[in-house]
Amino acid sequence: MNFELNMTIADLLLLLPEIFLTLWLCLVLIVDFAFPRLPKEQLAYLSVVGLVVTLSCLAWFDLTQISGALFGNMFVLDRMSIFFKMFIIGASILVILASIEYVNRFAFFRGEYYFLIVMSALGMMFMASANDLLSLFVTLEFSTFGFYVLVAYLREDLASNEAGLKFFILGVFAAGLLAYGISLVYGETGKLVFSDMASAPATPGLIIGFLLIFAALGFKIGAVPFHSWIPDTYHGAPTPVTAFLSIAPKGAAIAILLRLFFVALFTFKPMWVLLLAAVSVLSMTYANIVAIAQTNMKRLLAYSGIAQIGNVLIGMAAGTKMGNDAILFYLLTYLFANIGAFAVVIAMSQAIGSEEINDYSGLNRRSPFLAFSMLLFLLSLAGVPPLAGFIGKIYIFVAAIKEGLYTLITVGLVNIVISMYYYLIVVKKMYIAEPIDPSPIRISGPMKAVVYVGLAGTLLIGIYPQPFIDWVVSATMMFSHLPAPAATALPPIPPLGG
Amino acid sequence: MGDYALLYILFAPFFGALALIFVSNRQALLVRGIAAGSAFISLMASLYLFYSYDPVRGGFQFIQRFEWSRQLGISLYLGVDGIGTPLVLASSILLFAGIFVSWHIKDRAKEFYIWILILAAATIGVFMSLDLFFLYFFYEMSVIPMYLLLGMWGSHTKKYLEMTDPEGVKQRDSVGFIFNFGSNSKEYAAMKLVLFLSAFAVAAFMGILLIYKYSGLNTFDILVLREHANLMNIPVLGTTLDKIIWVLIFFGFASIAPLWPLHSWSPVGHAAAPAATSMLHAGVLMKLGHFSIIRVAYEILPETTRELMPMAAVLCMFSIVYGGFVAYYAKDTKYVIGYSSSSHMGYVFLGMAALDYISLSGAIIYMFAHAMATGMLFSMAGWVYDQTHTRDIPSLGGLSNKMPFISACFVVGCMASIGMPGTINFIAEVMIIVGSWNKYPLQVIVAVLGIVLTMAYLFKMMRSLFYGPMDQKYSHSHDAVAFVDRLPLLIMISVSVGFGLFPMHLYNVVRSGVDPLIAKITHVVPVAALPAPETTATVLHEQLAARGAQLPDSRVAQ
Repeated sequence: MNFELNMTIADLLLLLPEIFLTLWLCLVLIVDFAFPRLPKEQLAYLSVVGLVVTLSCLAWFDLTQISGALFGNMFVLDRMSIFFKMFIIGASILVILASIEYVNRFAFFRGEYYFLIVMSALGMMFMASANDLLSLFVTLEFSTFGFYVLVAYLREDLASNEAGLKFFILGVFAAGLLAYGISLVYGETGKLVFSDMASAPATPGLIIGFLLIFAALGFKIGAVPFHSWIPDTYHGAPTPVTAFLSIAPKGAAIAILLRLFFVALFTFKPMWVLLLAAVSVLSMTYANIVAIAQTNMKRLLAYSGIAQIGNVLIGMAAGTKMGNDAILFYLLTYLFANIGAFAVVIAMSQAIGSEEINDYSGLNRRSPFLAFSMLLFLLSLAGVPPLAGFIGKIYIFVAAIKEGLYTLITVGLVNIVISMYYYLIVVKKMYIAEPIDPSPIRISGPMKAVVYVGLAGTLLIGIYPQPFIDWVVSATMMFSHLPAPAATALPPIPPLGG
Repeated sequence: MGDYALLYILFAPFFGALALIFVSNRQALLVRGIAAGSAFISLMASLYLFYSYDPVRGGFQFIQRFEWSRQLGISLYLGVDGIGTPLVLASSILLFAGIFVSWHIKDRAKEFYIWILILAAATIGVFMSLDLFFLYFFYEMSVIPMYLLLGMWGSHTKKYLEMTDPEGVKQRDSVGFIFNFGSNSKEYAAMKLVLFLSAFAVAAFMGILLIYKYSGLNTFDILVLREHANLMNIPVLGTTLDKIIWVLIFFGFASIAPLWPLHSWSPVGHAAAPAATSMLHAGVLMKLGHFSIIRVAYEILPETTRELMPMAAVLCMFSIVYGGFVAYYAKDTKYVIGYSSSSHMGYVFLGMAALDYISLSGAIIYMFAHAMATGMLFSMAGWVYDQTHTRDIPSLGGLSNKMPFISACFVVGCMASIGMPGTINFIAEVMIIVGSWNKYPLQVIVAVLGIVLTMAYLFKMMRSLFYGPMDQKYSHSHDAVAFVDRLPLLIMISVSVGFGLFPMHLYNVVRSGVDPLIAKITHVVPVAALPAPETTATVLHEQLAARGAQLPDSRVAQ
């Protein structure tokens, strides 16, 4: 292998968002040190400005269809990676806006909090572009590094410390699995880049290696049986960090899984379809049943997130381009609903200092806006029309039924009903139960903005999904060579009118 | 308006709900005004729809089509035929009446109107969807508002109120709530309703997905699917695919109808719901089941329908008898009307099962008629509850002195429900009985006995509510004297009696929808063609006769 770095300035253009964000990251840190008296929320807005610039740069890439690969295919910029980068940046912007008030709880290092969030986002952006085993390992660890610190940010809080420790130990363990898996795969094939492995024979070492890599990525997305860290970590971590953790890393890891399964391992499709189906059924069923018994809002959302990943894996098990479109679309709906739900949890935790579901009693009387928003977010997660989550689920089911995955769809449909029960328990508390303390709840401006963005996304995608569907379909162009399901040509549409 | 009538009917309530979000709850009159106004637009548009629907031309009219998603093959495809038109009208009448029935709601009135408008609009959406996806979309959308309407503005049953045991309170929040049949709380009723209906809705959705997959057409368009989907004779699991799909669709949608073994959510839900919600729930929400079965199973799987529909003829007997007996012994006004509704829905299934021109038309007209009759009864039960704060029949009595108007209307409501000549219910019942006599004589006998049973429990309830001695604690209760209180009852009574005396247009409209459907299922050409002899319909029927078994569907062809 030889790594010749014959790059030109034009090639560096592909890295422009990352380079810009890296520089901006340093700027945020420098401003924090240079102006210690600056109110920390100014740093938040400064980070948001940088992220917005990055986002518009990525949107420009998407519109002008710039793509390419760098560093001997280690880093690839295609439309899918642009989608995931925009997904991650969007989540980061919303999380930063939602944390402005919350950050005042931290005793120290309020400025570095924003730095760490943006740094994790940067790591995940690289993850979305990772195209070989080495960059997979490096970017995954890079992005997790920031989270290790963020999860334990509430230094006085034992739960936060425990969450940090648990996350760290299991995270490092997953990293070990990943490294071991990579070494096995490299030993068997002698290749690092995903697309070079496509024709490797199925030796036991290779299969074990890939299973180990899958386990490490399963840890990232929190699929059963790699989910054990999720509830405690989500529970203990500062709520904005939980929100971030529940969305962005999942997106980035899904990007890698898509490349891994559909580029490197496509010849083994019959095998990994079974693997994904099993993990998906376990994730949905286990998480939805356990979620019923939760009394804490963050834990409930943690389990709901595991179940949502089960749904995503149905789409992946379909193994078609349409399945991948559905995954991207589903993640988009999940982004808005989940970040919105967490924004309400953060707002509540600021106002009443509690995240217990019982303390949401009578929220409708205390703040009709928050209650209504939470209602829509939860119903979107449950998959109720006309909200985004419904379309996401339907898209996945349609993609899966075309491949004849009847069992998976049946399990998925049954799980919709199960999940409806625990989401409605929260709705019951908010709307039907009477408040213990009827004082109205105030919400800060940035928080309101986040909730509004969540509402807008949830409703807009639900009512008029076509532009978003077009976007995800164009984002997965790299999979258009996959065998499409046999579809009969549509017969002419009957003439309108009676 | 003209061609856009369907959009007005469907979106007026949605926009009304949207506008209400921006109104403060303190402006009580404005809140009610917006709700009533949007319901009024919807009502006017559906009256226009009903009277300008051309039964001679038949088929789907007022069609609106907007591409919604190319990749998934979904379009917002709206249109009504002779089956959907009267049901749309019934929904908007009940919505308009329901707004006035709930005129005195004080607690969070704005939210109440928002949810009831969404509920009604979603129901109307099902009746006009020509796309399987949107049919399911609106169907599922109509279920969730019920949760909030029942939970927030509903009422517990007497049994629940007697449960002061703190253990019981804990039980209601427990995981095992589903086994906890004793707690008749409104929360329990709401949760049971939503979970039950959603569980069966996803079964129906599985059926829809199977149709989508095996038709191979990449579309949810009902009109395309019924012409081109070939789902017959595909062996699956020891039977054929079309049977599996049919069973999923039938039982999935029959749960909301509610057919006998799947009815248990319904009386509990009726009892817990506030009056206007019960009206919409029993009046139109339950008809979603029959309508969706007709729209999906009858249209797309006619052969299978002919083969399997006798199943419904068996189950409907249990519906009629079981519902009637429970209603006779129930001690709660709303339970009586709720079980009576689920018993009466058995008639609709009987009319559907016979697969006959007259009986299916009767079933459709019965849905319309039952919507009015049960709407009246529920609104009056709601009025009595508001005045006396109890629904316990034995403790009530002698209310006719205090509320002469209500008691007079109640008599009319009972008469309509029984099927007294002069009300539209009579025509519908006669049509069902006459139409299905040839095929199902046993069921017809049961149905006639069911009418006797209906008389028994409705008269029993009427007697013990309005006549006999009155408990002094109800002496402060008063009659509906204000115009807004009388308006809904007067509307429903006049519709019921008006169509009872002049049913011809309704009949023609319904027949224009039923004819091609039954012709396709049974391959029997209708005996009585539509009235005007020189119409295209007659020509069409001749064509149908000439081609024998290979009947083209008349409704798109024109």
